[in-house]
Amino acid sequence: MRLRRLILLLLTILMTLTACSEPPPQVHKARLFTLGTLVDVSVLDRDEATAQKATNIVETELAFINTQWHAWRDSPLTKINRQLAQRKKVAIDTSTYRFIKQAQTLAAMSNQLFNPAIGSLVGLWGFHSDNTPVGPPPAEATIEARVKEAPSMASITLTPTTISSNNPAVQLDFGAFGKGYAIDRAIEKLKQAGIENAIVNAGGDLRAIGSKGERPWRIGIRHPTEAGVIASIETRGDESLFTSGNYERFFDFDGKRYHHIIDPRSGYPATGTLSVTVIHRNAATADAAATALFIAGTQQWQQIARQMGIDEVMLIDRDLTIYMTPEMATRIHIEIDDANIRIAGGQI
Amino acid sequence: MTRADYCIVLFAALLLPYLYITQWTGNEAGTTASIINGNNTTQVSLAHDHTLEIAGALGTSVIKIEGGKIRFVSAPCLGKQCIHSGWLQHAGEFAACLPNRISIALLGEAPRFDSINF
Repeated sequence: MRLRRLILLLLTILMTLTACSEPPPQVHKARLFTLGTLVDVSVLDRDEATAQKATNIVETELAFINTQWHAWRDSPLTKINRQLAQRKKVAIDTSTYRFIKQAQTLAAMSNQLFNPAIGSLVGLWGFHSDNTPVGPPPAEATIEARVKEAPSMASITLTPTTISSNNPAVQLDFGAFGKGYAIDRAIEKLKQAGIENAIVNAGGDLRAIGSKGERPWRIGIRHPTEAGVIASIETRGDESLFTSGNYERFFDFDGKRYHHIIDPRSGYPATGTLSVTVIHRNAATADAAATALFIAGTQQWQQIARQMGIDEVMLIDRDLTIYMTPEMATRIHIEIDDANIRIAGGQI
Repeated sequence: MTRADYCIVLFAALLLPYLYITQWTGNEAGTTASIINGNNTTQVSLAHDHTLEIAGALGTSVIKIEGGKIRFVSAPCLGKQCIHSGWLQHAGEFAACLPNRISIALLGEAPRFDSINF
């Protein structure tokens, strides 16, 4: 009798195990070079063909934005810039209007710290190149002269069919916005194609939708000065995670680092901040906000975040002190020992 | 209890551990790396130490495999950020030389993170 019970037990376990042997959805990963960077597409699905379809959608969308908005290779944007420099009014289509309008709105919300009109300054520092510049930094007088010209999105007059500027120093460079905009477009296309669980990560900045089956997507946030991650987070449904860091594009000259995030007020790379991480549903907003808050630094980041409608921020300063909003603090996991963390008080 | 009953018990007892191992446990990472050159992907084993020279868009990138780890040791780009990335040893880690359009990533069944933000 005992043996029969044993047989029954073993067979029950056996049937349970075999019942679960239908393969669960898998994460299919693809990696491609586009938008001047490395793009990872992760899709949770049973069907590999669906994942391939998703990768094709992402590649198409990002390549389109890259072609349309490239700041230094011949593109519709460089054509617009040439005409703005001649004080000409340029005809634009609806999609161009929407793109620039969103960037202009975000620039105003950031007190112009996110300033896509300083393409001339970015180019002066050597960052309008596929290769990292080698230095030396530009002459002080040249930088001062460019800053005095005060190029700003506020000096752009935009209608649904035209763009013009009363400041010929305006040279548009959407390096701190275009990637987010492209990711947003790609995600919308994925949703339209019925893909519910995916991550699109372009050069480290990402938007994640859905989940990894029974658990959320887990994202590691890179340490700004060492190998490995400094923090991690589990995404909630549909979120973008963007980080601006001084380690992304830079050159060292005479023992000093010059990175690509230029403070439009000084004309020099912003100082004091190592990285800023922003979580927001919209990738374009997160992209612009990460740049603006990096430039805002420890003194102004709370004010600018509030103005831009950003609730979840982590800023790491040059002493590796971690500043966070309470909303970020409630969900982020710090992955290092002895972290010095300051959680913002007040309204934010 | 017949002989057939004993056979069923024995069969089930042997099958259970096999099913548990194959269906319910994950493998730890870090034995294989994926190297992407342009749009071509190659997988390499990290079981044996060796050096790879790969011709990319700009020139030759040199990748070293040692002790189950992998890294760029030489690249034709100016910034050398791929070399500064150092050794990759945990599943999901990657390094890239964008100008030369070559990247390496450590593969594994269960990386700790689904994606890395930087």
